[in-house]
Amino acid sequence: MKIITWFGTLTLDDGGKVVEWDMFSKDTDALAERLIQPKEADMDIPPAGFDIRAAAIECGFVASDDEYDNLLRDVSIRAAKKQISSGTPDMGIIQAVEALDDIDETANTLSERLAEWYGMYFPEVGLSSEPLARFVAKYGSRSNVSPDDRLYEKATSSMGAELTGLDEELVKGFAENICTLYDSRSRLEEYLVKSMETTAPNLVNIAGALIGARLVSMAGGLEKLARFPSSTIQVIGANRALFKHLRARAPSPKHGIIFNHPQIKNSPWWQRGKIARALAAKISLAVRMDVYSGGGLNESIKTELDAKIESIKATHPKPPKRESKGGSGKGKGEYKNKNKMQNKKAGGRR
Amino acid sequence: MAAKEVSSGVFEITERGGKQLATKNLVHGMSVYGEKLIEIEGCEYRIWNPKRSKLAAMVIKKFNIPIKRDSKVLYLGAASGTSVSHVSDIVSDGIVYAVEFSQRTMRDLIGLCDERPNIVPILADANRPQSYAHIVEEVDVIFQDVAQPNQSEIAAVNAKQFLKKDGHLLLSIKARSIDTAANPKKVFKDEVRKLENDFDVGFEVLDSRELMPFHEDHLGVMARVRN
Repeated sequence: MKIITWFGTLTLDDGGKVVEWDMFSKDTDALAERLIQPKEADMDIPPAGFDIRAAAIECGFVASDDEYDNLLRDVSIRAAKKQISSGTPDMGIIQAVEALDDIDETANTLSERLAEWYGMYFPEVGLSSEPLARFVAKYGSRSNVSPDDRLYEKATSSMGAELTGLDEELVKGFAENICTLYDSRSRLEEYLVKSMETTAPNLVNIAGALIGARLVSMAGGLEKLARFPSSTIQVIGANRALFKHLRARAPSPKHGIIFNHPQIKNSPWWQRGKIARALAAKISLAVRMDVYSGGGLNESIKTELDAKIESIKATHPKPPKRESKGGSGKGKGEYKNKNKMQNKKAGGRR
Repeated sequence: MAAKEVSSGVFEITERGGKQLATKNLVHGMSVYGEKLIEIEGCEYRIWNPKRSKLAAMVIKKFNIPIKRDSKVLYLGAASGTSVSHVSDIVSDGIVYAVEFSQRTMRDLIGLCDERPNIVPILADANRPQSYAHIVEEVDVIFQDVAQPNQSEIAAVNAKQFLKKDGHLLLSIKARSIDTAANPKKVFKDEVRKLENDFDVGFEVLDSRELMPFHEDHLGVMARVRN
């Protein structure tokens, strides 16, 4: 029997004794390469109970236990470093999605602060979030608002305090920082759209770039997403509702983050679950096409999806009749009789 | 301040009335993840928080930890290496094979391996011991903290390939990763029964205790292969 170890190939007799050996060269880098790719034709792994350390010493590959430890350690570290440095485009997408979320959170907090702060000086401004930040960054004090701005009237007649000197400098600088955040947010979005279109054109075609990117991020990679069943894709992002459903008698979630797809969001509630199911099915097909059949846009999935959604809308134009009380908007008429304990509200997005 | 050895290489440090677990620092002056370093009689100790480590919790729960100074340990589910670093302290004359599947945490683990002489990092799936059988030798102890639904199976296939006849398996079973819905007590019972009967390696469970209050819904198990 021929076996492979990290330091060479060995031939064992029936008693498990080494009778022949072929040592690799003692070069750390070459050994690390082999460590990652040990597959060699008709080689077995060492049988259980075989002492590979003793074999390495016996065959003269290393002289001592210490040398064995040190060399193996160096080789493994080198190999592990090689393995983790191979980044793929979907890793960039995941980071970008997370960065987007972080920016949203931060920008919101800062915008709220700005609204409070600037409200002292110009309470009638009537703007919030990005428009407010842009406005403050542009003008600073309301006395600087130009006559052709539509807020000019309000600015001149405002009951707010004067904003001058150091205060103005601070508030303006603060607003400028928020603007940079919004700028970086739109750059991230552009990047995501571009990057998604090249790595997963079919997914983008069905789900849209941003929802697609979010799915990839939550699955932990494009290939992982491709391995998910469509029922999982349907509820990714509705974790709380899903676990509540599994643990207690809460209704199953109908949609996770795919809820943000306009086809679901803009449909009446009784169609949403059905559309979510159809959409998830097509998303999983599209991702698999992107991952396994190598590039190229296939319009047929989109056509089928549109047809399916049309037929759902045609067969269910009216909300189902509700049973007496309770009706908490679950929409799935066919489940109602089966599960009468549906009055608990699920925690996440249903 | 005084240090009392409670298990090989593991010390209980009494400081201002409070007791803390610690290991002797193998690399002087280095704190791995921000843990406190304490010097007693010329010896530097690293505080070991049982809330961050299943193994430390097992020490406090009075498991008879079989890891010795010259032990060879296969550590499955090494993560970023917080616990691994303490095992590396304990086996100052031995070696730790640290298996981890996630590339992200492997990045941190490699940083640790660079600092310490006795850790061999392996980026692999613990479900497939054949993928690292050409690297790992027979070991005295397998420690497993993988939080996978098929935990006990992972323990069995690894024990079959790597565990010495008189070696020990230390296992942390996380009920929530086996069945989120079921009662943890029932999950623990099932898992122990599986370890004893279900695989071609039968285990004899020597000790099992819940790791409360340090880790919720976790069962610590110590076992050896039944001959």
